[in-house]
Amino acid sequence: MPIAFEKVSHVYSTGTPYEFKALDGVDLAFTEGRMTAVIGRTGSGKSTLVQHLNALLLPSEGTVRVLDREITAGSTPKGLKKLRGDVGLIFQFPEYQLFEETVLKDVSFGPKNFGASEEDARKRAKQALRLCGLEEQYDERSPLELSGGQKRRAAIAGVLAMDPKVLVLDEPTAGLDPRGTEEMMKLFRTLNKKNNKTIIIVTHDMEQVFQYCDEVVVMADGKVAAHMSTDEFFADSSVCRGLGILPPAIIRTCDALREAGFDIPKEIRTSAALAKCVAQQVRRHG
Amino acid sequence: MGSFVLGKYIALDSPVHRLDPRAKIVAMLAMLIAIFIPAGWYGYAVLFAAVAGVILLSKLSFTFIWKSMKPMLFMMVFLFIMNCFVIRTGEVLVTVGKISIYSGAVMQTLYIIVRLLLMIMITTCLTATTKPLDMTLGIEDLLKPASRIGVPGHEIAMLISIALRFIPDLIEETTRIMKAQESRGVDMKEGKFSEKISAILSLIVPLFVSAFQRADDLANAMEARGYAPGEKRTRYKVLKMRVWDWLTVIGANALLAGTIVIARFL
Repeated sequence: MPIAFEKVSHVYSTGTPYEFKALDGVDLAFTEGRMTAVIGRTGSGKSTLVQHLNALLLPSEGTVRVLDREITAGSTPKGLKKLRGDVGLIFQFPEYQLFEETVLKDVSFGPKNFGASEEDARKRAKQALRLCGLEEQYDERSPLELSGGQKRRAAIAGVLAMDPKVLVLDEPTAGLDPRGTEEMMKLFRTLNKKNNKTIIIVTHDMEQVFQYCDEVVVMADGKVAAHMSTDEFFADSSVCRGLGILPPAIIRTCDALREAGFDIPKEIRTSAALAKCVAQQVRRHG
Repeated sequence: MGSFVLGKYIALDSPVHRLDPRAKIVAMLAMLIAIFIPAGWYGYAVLFAAVAGVILLSKLSFTFIWKSMKPMLFMMVFLFIMNCFVIRTGEVLVTVGKISIYSGAVMQTLYIIVRLLLMIMITTCLTATTKPLDMTLGIEDLLKPASRIGVPGHEIAMLISIALRFIPDLIEETTRIMKAQESRGVDMKEGKFSEKISAILSLIVPLFVSAFQRADDLANAMEARGYAPGEKRTRYKVLKMRVWDWLTVIGANALLAGTIVIARFL
């Protein structure tokens, strides 16, 4: 089932002096079952793009197809609830959505909205909380008592508990510490691989794109500037640099070594492999 | 919410924009009082002419003034219907079934509507041509004499300017939270009554939490910069009354006096 944009434009504040075209004729199809990164500068239309995926924003022009829904500009779609259950959207700094008295109640809020029974919702909430690394002891605490990182986990669990088919994340790791970031990214990768969820993630962090994602969509001025597999994207630094993006540290290091006369094969992706390759060559010439 | 223009500042360069905020506030008060003096249609004609003159001078478009009145249209219709039932003076104009509409009702409603229109036009002239910060400076200065009897003029002005400053932020925050909760299956538009209650709760609680958080952050930031209420402070912007400012105050008061004269003698 498709997750696709056809000639989609989105204009904010139409007919006022503040009119702004955030998306401009976007043609794009996300691949199902893969983890796709959406990158681009601030104001390039990333957030606007992903908010079309669960119809929080409706296109000003063009058509958005998500799973079995088709949303065309000019129509006023009804009953978007099912779509919102199928496409879980996690905003930047999602901790501001917490409002219930206890963490468990808050996380079961989503499933209950989509018609799950009290008992079922609790069960799913508990599963989601454990998945996000929040132990049982936090279930009955007030969300406001948690630390920043724990709040983030609880908020993400609140969307995972809905068990969506597609998970859309808008900078989910902004403001987390390096360890928390790594755990979160690993969790999303597991959800993608094991639970077969399509994941679309907006990020500024090239290391995350490089390490965890299958495909990259580059946005610039409301248009899709590039859409390719991560392997192609990082094959050498020319693609990144052509788009004005600083490649990940490992790619930059490989580049610098090549320039210094080393023969570094393209498959090298980790610092350990790179070290081994360099050591061999040094020894050979030694 | 973006189309809501009542009370919005419009950055233009006009003689009205350049006036001292204190002069504008005093002039507005004088004109508001003038509206409530029963000077009959002649008085309102004079006031309308004066306000129209100010709008022309301020370079505000009449469509903008019209837009700022829109939210009040509903109230005007409501007032008219209420008055039609309640007031039974003058002659009967129309009879629909058991209900008759009296000329007194129509006149009374027209009076109220004209007053409302004038009030909106005058206050819009003030808010659209005065930056919120200038406005609070003006209010602070005007409240200065009252500080002798214990009215905290500076604190009131600071309160108002902070409140104004955070309106756009809170609107943005509300949209953000609404979107997040809608993504969790909250239906803000459709749904049963009980569902709507929980929808509102899921919006209000986070909004309060973040508003308190913001207030706390702001208080800390202000303290860190040495702000202490009640202390003597110097100002970056010093207000100065010029010839035109005095003329505005005098003109508005003359208008007020004029309406009183019309009310008494015409």
